[in-house]
Amino acid sequence: METLRQLLVSREISELSRVTHLLDEPEQLAAAVGDVLPTAVARATHAQLGEALAPAVERAVQRSIQKSPRTLTDILYPVFLPAIRKSIGEKIDQTFQSLNETLRHIFTWHGLKWRFEAWRTGASFSEVVLKHSLIYRVEHAFLINRNSGLLIAHVAADNATSEDPQLISSMLSAIQDFVKDSFNEREQSGLDTIRFGDLRLWSEVGPFATLVSVIRGNPPEELHEIVRDVLLRIHEECSQALVEFDGDSSQLAGVEAQLRTCVEQKQEESNEGFPWLVAAVALLFLILAGGWFFLSWQSGQRWQAYVSRWQAYVSRLEAQPGIIVAEQQARDGQFYIAGLRDPLAADPQSLLSGTQVDPARVHSQWQFYQSLQPEFVLKRLKASLAPPDSVRLSIDNERIVAEGEAPDTWIDRARAAARQLSAGGPEFDISKVRDVSPEVLEAKRWQAYVSRLEAQPGIIVAQQKIRDGRFYIAGLRDPLADDPQSLLSGTQVDPARVHSQWQFYQSLEPEFVLKRLTASLYPPDTVRLSIVNNRIIAEGEAPDTWIDRARAAARQLSAGGPEFDISKVRDVSPEARAAEHWQYYVSRLEAQPGIVVAQQSTRGGHFYISGLRDPLAADPQALLSGTEVDPARVHSQWQFYQSLDPKFVVKRLTASLTPPKSVRLSIIQGRIVVVGEAPAAWIDRAQAAAEQLSADGVVLDVSQLRELDLAELNHLRESIQTTDIFFSSGKVVPGPEQTPVLDRLADQIKEFAQNARKSGVTARFMLTGHSDTTGRETANASISAARAETVRALLNKRGVAPELLLVRGAGTFEPAVPENSQAGSSTNRRVSVTVNLD
Amino acid sequence: MLQKKICMLGGFSVGKTSLVRRFVKSIFSETYLTTVGVKIDKKSVALPDKTVDLILWDLAGEDDIGSFRVSHVRGATGLVLVVDGTRAATLTAALTLRERVEAEFGAMPFVLLFNKSDLADRWVIPDREIDELRQRGWQVYLTSALSGEHVDDAFLKLASMVTK
Ligand SMILES: Nc1nc2c(ncn2[C@@H]2O[C@H](COP(=O)(O)OP(=O)(O)O)[C@@H](O)[C@H]2O)c(=O)[nH]1
Ligand SMILES: [Mg+2]
Repeated sequence: METLRQLLVSREISELSRVTHLLDEPEQLAAAVGDVLPTAVARATHAQLGEALAPAVERAVQRSIQKSPRTLTDILYPVFLPAIRKSIGEKIDQTFQSLNETLRHIFTWHGLKWRFEAWRTGASFSEVVLKHSLIYRVEHAFLINRNSGLLIAHVAADNATSEDPQLISSMLSAIQDFVKDSFNEREQSGLDTIRFGDLRLWSEVGPFATLVSVIRGNPPEELHEIVRDVLLRIHEECSQALVEFDGDSSQLAGVEAQLRTCVEQKQEESNEGFPWLVAAVALLFLILAGGWFFLSWQSGQRWQAYVSRWQAYVSRLEAQPGIIVAEQQARDGQFYIAGLRDPLAADPQSLLSGTQVDPARVHSQWQFYQSLQPEFVLKRLKASLAPPDSVRLSIDNERIVAEGEAPDTWIDRARAAARQLSAGGPEFDISKVRDVSPEVLEAKRWQAYVSRLEAQPGIIVAQQKIRDGRFYIAGLRDPLADDPQSLLSGTQVDPARVHSQWQFYQSLEPEFVLKRLTASLYPPDTVRLSIVNNRIIAEGEAPDTWIDRARAAARQLSAGGPEFDISKVRDVSPEARAAEHWQYYVSRLEAQPGIVVAQQSTRGGHFYISGLRDPLAADPQALLSGTEVDPARVHSQWQFYQSLDPKFVVKRLTASLTPPKSVRLSIIQGRIVVVGEAPAAWIDRAQAAAEQLSADGVVLDVSQLRELDLAELNHLRESIQTTDIFFSSGKVVPGPEQTPVLDRLADQIKEFAQNARKSGVTARFMLTGHSDTTGRETANASISAARAETVRALLNKRGVAPELLLVRGAGTFEPAVPENSQAGSSTNRRVSVTVNLD
Repeated sequence: MLQKKICMLGGFSVGKTSLVRRFVKSIFSETYLTTVGVKIDKKSVALPDKTVDLILWDLAGEDDIGSFRVSHVRGATGLVLVVDGTRAATLTAALTLRERVEAEFGAMPFVLLFNKSDLADRWVIPDREIDELRQRGWQVYLTSALSGEHVDDAFLKLASMVTK
């Protein structure tokens, strides 16, 4: 029969045993699953696999974070840093590129280098980052003649292209004119910056040439400086050629080298790419590892569930102490179990939880019994004997052993229990329990308390004894030492049975002396007391009254106590402090021009000062503020005097003489010099003042004063304002007969302007154009303005500075004569002049 | 590199822009004229002894003499005065403009172009008047931006005048 079986199914049997073996050995099973896992993962439906893996991967990541957040941070660092950087970069304007760069460079080698640089130069870290991370390149530099807009020179960076530089040059200057005209900008200020996307045009305007740089990126502010410097150097080196420039740039070939220094300016982007490959590999590894963990865990789980969830539960019950399974059976999808259980054993019902066996299908029948297993006996003994804290029960080789100390009553009860158990139960050994009656215990506790007192500084125990269950103690204690009564707490000695007799004494131990000194002397905050080598040392500052008290205390202590050293306390009594402040105030006064301190003294806490002061000098009272000197204690006596310090003399002269605008008083090497033009009467007064002052030894030099004649100026103004330039009908350029009038007008304007400037005023001349009433009103308005413009140009041609000439068109609104005749119209077609002074 | 700034002057619609377009292939769009008020072109002209780059400034909007921006002419070495031969008033306009420029910047070389010579039937300028202007020693040309007649001659002449 056995042979037959061997023949028929031997192959199957061996195969079956191999598989069973495989399933039984977790090591082998894991190896087998590991072999097919990659293929299985690859074959699985992506959506399902993702869903299945998600919780496990989540849990794995969670655990990893809990275990060590650093690991995951390190893995993800290259992922989230660029993400943060990107979102910041998008939100903030390019100008804030610095922040982006800072983030990028905080952890890099550059970052360290820049931190070092910041530390070395004293600049802030962000400044250094900004300096290095503004990425830009100067692509072109154009040097443009200011007058004509013609290109003088052009230099381009490598690979930089542009349209014809000559045209660009002219167009740029046309655009500058356009902006200037459109917004009424002043002559001097050029168009600084044009920005278009990534490109910027910076123009730096010099007297004869404009330097336009075309920059791609974000240039730093210093680049302005560099460009300005280049322009300055060009003006210095080639000023003559620049002035004479007429379109022939061969004269100015040298400036190209200068422009090249502009174009060489750049800050390139350092290309530290982000390690995508490393990040991708790391992420993939993370996912695969998580997946493997999950699959192996899940397959184990299933195997157990399918093979014998119930069997596992039963064997768990069987392994439980105090539970005996008598029979068990699985039938028709239901589970039946019966047996014995000790009341102290685990509840079979509660053991079901976590086994994945459905409690609804379990039918149990349990009978209570008392287990004689040592651990149950131990539990029962603990409950019935209630051993004191000083006794420990344990199991040793199936025996129950009691150790420790207990009162004799408890030992008797334990002995009875041991006798009962000897019939069949485990042995109960109480030989190791020492008999401790309360008296013995209390005596021990008392001794512990006494030795604690003896160790206490400031307490001396003289006598102690125990009699009739009472404790007696006597000795000395310092009032500052710890209270012996309060030290009782925690010793388990009954305070009601303690009788103490303490005599106070003063301990001379340094720490007690220090405490007493602190309590009696009240040292100010500025004084610090400390113990060094058993000496008490005071350091700091204190008023003299305190120092006196401290000295008295030191003398007292010298009889037997520790040394009290107060030599390191400086005297800062309020008086000394006040005297210091007073001296500071006096020296401040003495340094003041126009104040002479004659005498000063301190007496009885009051301050006395007397001297001379110029009325124009600073007020001594006002100078008190901020010196911390109490004004109520200051008694001053000041006599006014006139300081001959030139500064004061000038002040007085300015007040008394009220010099006209055209006159300037200045101090040159101790002498007062008056320069300018003034009316004759004023010059006389100034001379009189000079004579007076010379008696006091002060020099007032009026020799450079010139007389001012205003009468002539008024005459000239009258003559200018009555001059008109006339025009033929419809013409905006005056006829040749007006030439002598224009010549004379130009001369008069020039003369007036010059004289006015000498007397410190600026004259401006308003040219108002007029037209007759023939023709349309709009045409008349523009003709009138054009006439004024033409006259301005003609006067300019005759040497009148254009900035002195203002132009307006009045159209027909301000006729010179009523317009009802031919003569009337020809009188009204004119440009009139008015003079304004400011 | 020798360059000269030249300004096109003349009344509204006389053909300044068309003349420049005929003379040089432009790189800037003509919208510059209406936006910035000026359009700039460049033409290299080869003369017997040298080459000069003419930087041509074409100005917009001289329909109203009052609005003319004299400042654009600053630094120019020559003018192209353009007259529309079919409108007599444009001659006065051109001469007035020249006067204003001269008053501001002094005398400078110019050529005077009577344009649209192809429109013979609507021509209103008498030959006598043209002769009279030539008598003053002025360089006068009858041009057509449409056919290109005498356009190059006029610019060439001005080029040699400004490089004298
Ligand atoms: N028939 C003809 N038409 C011309 C000529 N020159 C310009 N035009 C036309 O005149 C008009 C104005 O020309 P444009 O160049 O814009 O004049 P601008 O205002 O002086 O610049 C346009 O319609 C041109 O086509 C020419 O020589 N002959
Ligand atoms: Mg045009």
